[in-house]
Amino acid sequence: MTDSNKLPSGQTRIDSIEMRGITKRFPGVLASDHVDFDVKSGEVHALLGENGAGKSTLMKILYGMYHPDEGQILLNGKPVSIASPTDAINIGVGMIHQHFMLVPSLTVAENVALGLPSSRGPLTDLDRVSKRIVELANIYGLKIDPSAYVWQLSVGQQQRVEIIKALYRGAALLILDEPTAVLTPQEVDEFFVIMHQMVKDGYALIFISHKLHEVVEISNRVTVLRNGKKIGTRPTSETTKQDLANWMVGRDVDFAPDRGKVDIGEVRLKLENVCCGNDLGTPGLREVCLEIHSGEILGVAGVSGNGQRELADTIAGLRKTTSGRVYLEGRDVTGLAPGDLTDRMLSYIPEERMRDGMIKDFTVAENMILREHHKHQFSRSGFLKLKDISTHTDKLIAQFHVKTPSQETLAKNLSGGNIQKIVLAREISRNPRAIIAAQPTRGLDIGATEYVREQLLDQRKRGAAVMLISEDLDEILALSDRVAVIYEGRIMDILPRQNATRERLGLLMAGVHPEEKAPA
Amino acid sequence: MISELFTVTVLIGILASGIRLATPYLYASIGETFGQRSGVLNLGVEGQMLLGAFAAFYVALTTGSLWLGILAAMIVGALMGLIMAFVTVNLHAQQGISGIGFYLFGLGLSDLLFQKLMGTVETVKGFPPIKIPWFSSIPGVGEIFFSQNILVYGAYLLVPLAWFVLNKTTLGLKIRSVGENPDAADSLGVSVARIRYFTIILGGTLSGIAGASLSIALLNVFQQNMTSGLGFIAVALVYFGAWRPWGVLGGALLFSMVNSLQLWIQVLGIPIPSEIAVMMPYVLTILVLVITVSRVRAPSALTKPFERED
Amino acid sequence: MKKFIWLLTLIVALSMILTACGAAAPAATEAPVVTEAPVSATEAPVATEPPAAPAEPFRVAVIMPSAINDLAFSQSMFDALTRIQEEMGGTDAFEFVYSDGMFNVDDAAAAIRDYATEGYDLVIAHGSQYGSSLQEIAPDFPETSFAWGTTAETFGVPNIFAYEAASQEGGYVNGVLAATLSTSKVIGIVGPIEVGDAKLYVDGFKAGVATTDPAVKVNVNYIGSFSDVALASEAATTHIAAGADALTGTAQMVVGAIGKAEEANALWFGTQSNQTSLAPTIVVASQVYHWEVALREIITLINSGTLGGQSFKANLANGGEVVEFNPDYALSADATALAESTIQGIIDGTITITLP
Ligand SMILES: Nc1ncnc2c1ncn2[C@@H]1O[C@H](COP(=O)(O)OP(=O)(O)OP(=O)(O)O)[C@@H](O)[C@H]1O
Ligand SMILES: [Mg+2]
Repeated sequence: MTDSNKLPSGQTRIDSIEMRGITKRFPGVLASDHVDFDVKSGEVHALLGENGAGKSTLMKILYGMYHPDEGQILLNGKPVSIASPTDAINIGVGMIHQHFMLVPSLTVAENVALGLPSSRGPLTDLDRVSKRIVELANIYGLKIDPSAYVWQLSVGQQQRVEIIKALYRGAALLILDEPTAVLTPQEVDEFFVIMHQMVKDGYALIFISHKLHEVVEISNRVTVLRNGKKIGTRPTSETTKQDLANWMVGRDVDFAPDRGKVDIGEVRLKLENVCCGNDLGTPGLREVCLEIHSGEILGVAGVSGNGQRELADTIAGLRKTTSGRVYLEGRDVTGLAPGDLTDRMLSYIPEERMRDGMIKDFTVAENMILREHHKHQFSRSGFLKLKDISTHTDKLIAQFHVKTPSQETLAKNLSGGNIQKIVLAREISRNPRAIIAAQPTRGLDIGATEYVREQLLDQRKRGAAVMLISEDLDEILALSDRVAVIYEGRIMDILPRQNATRERLGLLMAGVHPEEKAPA
Repeated sequence: MISELFTVTVLIGILASGIRLATPYLYASIGETFGQRSGVLNLGVEGQMLLGAFAAFYVALTTGSLWLGILAAMIVGALMGLIMAFVTVNLHAQQGISGIGFYLFGLGLSDLLFQKLMGTVETVKGFPPIKIPWFSSIPGVGEIFFSQNILVYGAYLLVPLAWFVLNKTTLGLKIRSVGENPDAADSLGVSVARIRYFTIILGGTLSGIAGASLSIALLNVFQQNMTSGLGFIAVALVYFGAWRPWGVLGGALLFSMVNSLQLWIQVLGIPIPSEIAVMMPYVLTILVLVITVSRVRAPSALTKPFERED
Repeated sequence: MKKFIWLLTLIVALSMILTACGAAAPAATEAPVVTEAPVSATEAPVATEPPAAPAEPFRVAVIMPSAINDLAFSQSMFDALTRIQEEMGGTDAFEFVYSDGMFNVDDAAAAIRDYATEGYDLVIAHGSQYGSSLQEIAPDFPETSFAWGTTAETFGVPNIFAYEAASQEGGYVNGVLAATLSTSKVIGIVGPIEVGDAKLYVDGFKAGVATTDPAVKVNVNYIGSFSDVALASEAATTHIAAGADALTGTAQMVVGAIGKAEEANALWFGTQSNQTSLAPTIVVASQVYHWEVALREIITLINSGTLGGQSFKANLANGGEVVEFNPDYALSADATALAESTIQGIIDGTITITLP
């Protein structure tokens, strides 16, 4: 064996892996329909498709988590059986899941060591593991403290832990299922540097993303899935963003929806010197003052972890203020329970929709009426009006293109993007007076993103006050009337849209006032 | 009269009997700790203890061997654990309800066997106190710590051992991860089912020993329902101890010490109504729990069945 | 669905086993048939003769808080019923079924109702905790007679009998003996909850000690439970550490205490049933209840059409209580004489026991 056969981690490279005729059925869905897919050493192969197209399913089959009903997998041309994640790990396949697979209460080293034999027999050898983690991290400049607890880490850092976990297990092929969905733009850039380096070193990478510019930037080949079927594979160099969008959705996609002109009305939502703590006990919000008018979208930009989550939770009644007042339509609603806020027609699309926005073990229909199940629309003297609920659910499923076998399917069995759509549909469809939307398009395919953006603009036209919290500057700039920048729990500045240039926002997001910088 | 509480006899008495009383709790709670750390709540501890107590007693009575009695208690407890594991891991049964079922089963079966096989309350010669040479002659301390029976020593040795297994071994790492995020553990090739089987069976075995510690070491009798809620307190102590062996030890000692203090308060004729005195250990434990509980978090996957979606 | 069926099967299996041992479902409880013995000719120490066996057997159901062989409260009733059965001529004349281990009052209430529905002549709720249930249930079954104890309370309901033991009498005798035999002059008592029969016994015992030797210290420990054997045992240890060399205790959890007394070679005085077998070297005497005294009268009344409204007391005078000495314990002649004269004094009224 020559040295060129080895990866920097010491692992032998995988020349090619090929999936042939893969078919997978779930109750009511054909998630993979005779799909062929392959990836080679030294390339990034992007996998594209709408929410529910079957991307994660195909990858979970490659990682041994699902068993295909038909088809086979070839490693370097020879058939292999991958019956479990252990098998996958053994042949050098690693996977970074759409939803991270980490144990928050354990340290980085413990997460990495989990499930592996130890050099000290039954005893853990965390010192050795830590050393090796640092070694591997150094190869790709992934700064990480092996003794830190995972719950202390930012999302970007957690992702690095996932990568190191895979490398530690000798992965030569990495499946990256929507790795960038949760990253800030800066983190995405750093991540791409790492990916470039890995490809150069001979790794094989599979990259799933809904952001077409990322696919165009990073991949060598693209495969598009639609409804479980493969539409085709092309070299990336031969396509453009528009091509891909067309190919995926089967029609033209409008990336910058028409904002239209809307007359701004009275103040709907007002925050006065609001302060609150965060989960680690330090101040989460400091003296936040904001006003959002009827018919207005206020974008809140900022690097993640600067108080966005606390801001949204506080308004939605999920977090206590330590001082300050919140007003909804002129009435003081500080400290009201989420239920009371619901009755006052405040809608909340939480960032962690899987955790805070829904009940995974409830059906789609049940999740659709979670917020308003007690209203006369859906229940009479304690009994649910099942027929009305069903009609309502059907309507929302159609409007928001939720891909689900039926209303009775458990929410947890939907694809990542479709789970999000349930929450969006429920919150937007009630025609609220004010909406707090945190990262509303994260994880959505381009068609759905387009639809949600249109919906938010519609609500604005209707006269709702919308707070749009997003890390995606494109989204902020496409939708907002004014942009507030949040940094370390403080509102740095609020700019009218026409003054909100990328440069200016970037500086504010880093905690610098452009005016302050000028004299230096 | 209060001053009488602070005499050497009384203090030694409180400590020594607190240490003895804590013994069955320790076995049962440490066993339960393993289960809960892996995400399984076993409310059937009481039933396992009763069956263990009976098995140990009956075997010791008929064979004359206390060690065979312990072995019998372990086997019976492990078997109960095995069934519990099957029901919760494979059948995904609701853990709370099935635990109560196992409690009733143990209660009923131990009574049935007692009626059919023994018919009346009898006594055995249980494990005698072992005086640890030299140490046991230290005044006061010797009597408290170094003249107990073997099962008492065993219970206290179990605490550091459990801590070590949970925190320093690969097995412990697997147990903790399965209780926090079984999906993650599964994705790394850790068999969630196997780990949970292990912890539940271990828990059953230890509960069996807990029962034996009553019937052939501390009390040396068997009577119907003799654990009288002890197994449920053992489960509560796991919460009290924040799922950590040392915390469980603290809880067990606190509860038992206050209980023995309460006995002394009555014996010394300190004018507190007996109804109030007997509530002291419960009230105090709940108080401590209320003060500390906000700071700890239960294993995230506790009571949640695991199922890979395929 | 498959899971659900599995679970259901399991639950059914569990409940079948439970039913079989009679802890929960009275309907299936088999009547423990006592091996036939010819009616003892030497029997019948009391005036009331057992009623002549009618064509139909007299049917009794009893609910008890602990096991029938607890060597304490429940066993005293079980033994009494067995003796009545013998007296009356076996199962043809007298049948009884029981549900023991009914420490849960709600379960007990359900069992009482079931038995009443099944048409038993007499349903006995053997435990003061069952009173309020009985008060509710009895009026629904005016044809059935109920009895409960230990109490004097019939609630004015015409089909409820009450029975109690003057347990202070045996307690007094035990107390006199204990005060005489104790050399450390410290005596310990382990009780369950400070009410009813237990309180009577403890107070009688204390009175006996006080009249015999006021210098003797009596320490009392109510442990707050009828079943916590471990705590009862620890209470005994505490008494011994506090200097006691003679112990007594009442209710079924004292089996734990007797063991500790034996280990420390302290004397034990029993009550409710004969506890000699538990520790033959240290048990001096036990006050034993003979509920058959009350039961005979109740049965006679029922047969003559009176279904309740009266209360009965078992005491030394009517033979409802007997102090049984442990033949293996070498009690001195003086002490024996003292005990005997105390018993006689209580019976003929020369000794009156003053309770607090
Ligand atoms: N465990 C499961 N049980 C039942 N149906 C499932 C399961 N997992 C996935 N599906 C279904 O299979 C289809 C494909 O899902 P998959 O998660 O592969 O989509 P995806 O392409 O990854 O979408 P997204 O971009 O939203 O993550 C969906 O319709 C989904 O509802
Ligand atoms: Mg997916």
